[in-house]
Amino acid sequence: MSAPTTNIPVAIPAGASSGAPGTQPPRTIAGSLSGGVPGARGIAGRLLHGTPGRMRLFGLLGVIAAVLLGAVSANALLASQAAVERAANNTAQVVRAQSIHVDLLRADAVATNAFLVGGLESAESRARYEAAMSRVASGIATAAAAQPADGKALGVLAERVQTYAALVEQARSNNRLGLPVGAQYLTQASAGLRADAIPIVTQVVKANEDRSSKEFDRSNSSLQLLVGVLSLIGLVALAVWLAKRTHRYLNPSLTGAIALLLVALFVTATTITGIGRATRDVAQGDFQSAVTLANITTAANDARANESLTLIKRGSGAANETSWKTDKTDVDTDLDRLKDATLISLWGDYVASHQKVRSLDDGGRWDDAVKLSTSTATDGAAKTFGDFDVAVTKARDDAGKTTVTNLQGQGGSAPLLAVVVGLVALAASWLVVRGIGQRIEEYR
Amino acid sequence: MSALTSSLRRRLSVLVAVVGLGALAGCSGVTYAETQLPTSSAPRPSSSAPAVAAPTCDNATQSYAPLSSLPSRGEISDGTMRTIIDKGYLTVGVSADTYLFGARNAFTGGIEGFDIDMARAVAKAIFGDPSKVQLRVITAGDRIPLLKDREVDMVARNMSMTCGRWNDIAFSAEYYRSGQKVLISKSLVTEDKSAASWGLADLKDKRVCAPTGTTSLTKLQQVAQPAKTDGPVVVTAGTHTGCLVLLQQGKADAITGDDTVLAGLAAQDPNTVITSAKAITVEPYGLGLNKADTYLARYVNRVIADLVADGEWKAIYNRWLAAPLGPAPAPPTPVYGR
Repeated sequence: MSAPTTNIPVAIPAGASSGAPGTQPPRTIAGSLSGGVPGARGIAGRLLHGTPGRMRLFGLLGVIAAVLLGAVSANALLASQAAVERAANNTAQVVRAQSIHVDLLRADAVATNAFLVGGLESAESRARYEAAMSRVASGIATAAAAQPADGKALGVLAERVQTYAALVEQARSNNRLGLPVGAQYLTQASAGLRADAIPIVTQVVKANEDRSSKEFDRSNSSLQLLVGVLSLIGLVALAVWLAKRTHRYLNPSLTGAIALLLVALFVTATTITGIGRATRDVAQGDFQSAVTLANITTAANDARANESLTLIKRGSGAANETSWKTDKTDVDTDLDRLKDATLISLWGDYVASHQKVRSLDDGGRWDDAVKLSTSTATDGAAKTFGDFDVAVTKARDDAGKTTVTNLQGQGGSAPLLAVVVGLVALAASWLVVRGIGQRIEEYR
Repeated sequence: MSALTSSLRRRLSVLVAVVGLGALAGCSGVTYAETQLPTSSAPRPSSSAPAVAAPTCDNATQSYAPLSSLPSRGEISDGTMRTIIDKGYLTVGVSADTYLFGARNAFTGGIEGFDIDMARAVAKAIFGDPSKVQLRVITAGDRIPLLKDREVDMVARNMSMTCGRWNDIAFSAEYYRSGQKVLISKSLVTEDKSAASWGLADLKDKRVCAPTGTTSLTKLQQVAQPAKTDGPVVVTAGTHTGCLVLLQQGKADAITGDDTVLAGLAAQDPNTVITSAKAITVEPYGLGLNKADTYLARYVNRVIADLVADGEWKAIYNRWLAAPLGPAPAPPTPVYGR
């Protein structure tokens, strides 16, 4: 769009500057030349003067609108996809933190149980404690790397877990020497774990659940498309204005541009809403069951540790039995929601053995209660609980993995679509320029 | 006017937010607020309420006269004892961490010690079987409330007979005589050679631990801060072993308690020593009972008298305490007539 192709009425031949209005800076080429560099304002003023000038200005705005629509649509698509990806990451973090929670309680249940049996702990139970604790250690490191915002909390957690592990080791070495102070160290370790470490894990789980649900909301970023709609309205207004000015109702290029952009906007909106809906389905489906299963696993392991602590306290463990009952209510409520027949029956088996343990202990047969609680025979509490724990942990891991995989599958086509929408917007811009250019030509 | 501008401003800020959100979401990653740490609870250990003057009397060791002979189970008509007999076992509140007196054997898982043998002797008298006893592990502070609520039938947990406690519960005749002493970390001895002979009052500004609800704590509070400005600092724990943990963790410098209990603690940690200072108090141990159970008290007193008479008391003493404290002395002389 160089100057010669357009009709600028004030393009006065060189040397005839006297006719130009008084105080304004020289508008002639000679004036520009004499001024050294052509004034930008001068050129702009010339370009925008009169109806063709307005056409040029509106044409420019039309191009901006088309590009803006393309940019906003592409951005919204990418934002949706990015939000889904972050939701997947946050969900993975929730699962990680819950695993840490369960493993801590599992380690404590194993440690207290080994202590309950008396004598030297079996190599098998020692190995299970260590496996749980090493999962905790690597879990904390992985989680801290995955979400920097959790870094500080996980740092404090690592410190508390270290304290716990040190106390358990001290309990263990004193226990090996047959010194009662070992029991005191174990009590301190368990109490400290529940008072100082577990609340941090709970906090990390909660923070990441919040982040997940925020991203679930953000995955439907159709609000941004309002800007696109405004752009489209602007283009339509331009077309109407142009039609009125030129008395030619259809400008094929401009109409084509509007049609293209309308399609692009529609496809974008549909895709984003689709992503939003699918994500919400995951949030309410797989993610919810993963969270529920994790809650069951934690409550069940806490119940098991409380069973051991009740026995260890020999008749003074009423508070722990109350905690056991609270845990049981939690597990029951969540199992009812899931309606998983296998898990319900396995949990029922454990509850039955626990009740047998309690009735033995309450009947003054502490030794038999301990035997049943630690027994890995068919009806022993260690066996029934172990079966339930294995089943529920597997179900939880599966649900967690399904959630993350399903989320990662969402919005996979969004980046490609964003590129297409961007190209469409560029094509539309070209069409706008062509359409307006045509009218300017005709006007001259 | 201001409403108009504020609504305008709100609309503007919404617009800015929408555009900003879009730009942020698309271009850069979302940054999250740091995960908040839960508000931490106040750190333990805490010092307890200041000492109250203990009631005084001159018959703290005086119990009820023993039955002339042990009746058979069928002959007993006393309500409390009938309940125990019908239940089939005796519920006894004991310690599981007072080495030598009532402690869990880490190898067998069983609870054993001088006090446990006393409890078993009573069970044997009632049921003819020393195993008909439910050992309920309790802390020192639990002793009186549990007896009052009849959660336990008897307490055999190195419990000193005091005038104050007689107001709440009953005791059997004295079955063991102890005294309050001080156990210190050997690091104090390396700092100050004379530390090995320190009593409580010498532990100026040192952190001294005693379990809550014990006579040792009451005694400690009388010579400690804030009662005495240059006295020791009181640290409490649930049990004597809890005190040992605090000492091992560097949160206490010394522990005060009955010499027998301290002997058990010293046996578990070679880095501690019981000072040679004279016992601060005399601690007569009695079996704790509900205040209303005078018949049971008389029955138990008969059992104790028989144990002393047939040499069983000496045998129990030697089984647990001969190694750290030397052979059994003469058993304490029971005082009856309450």
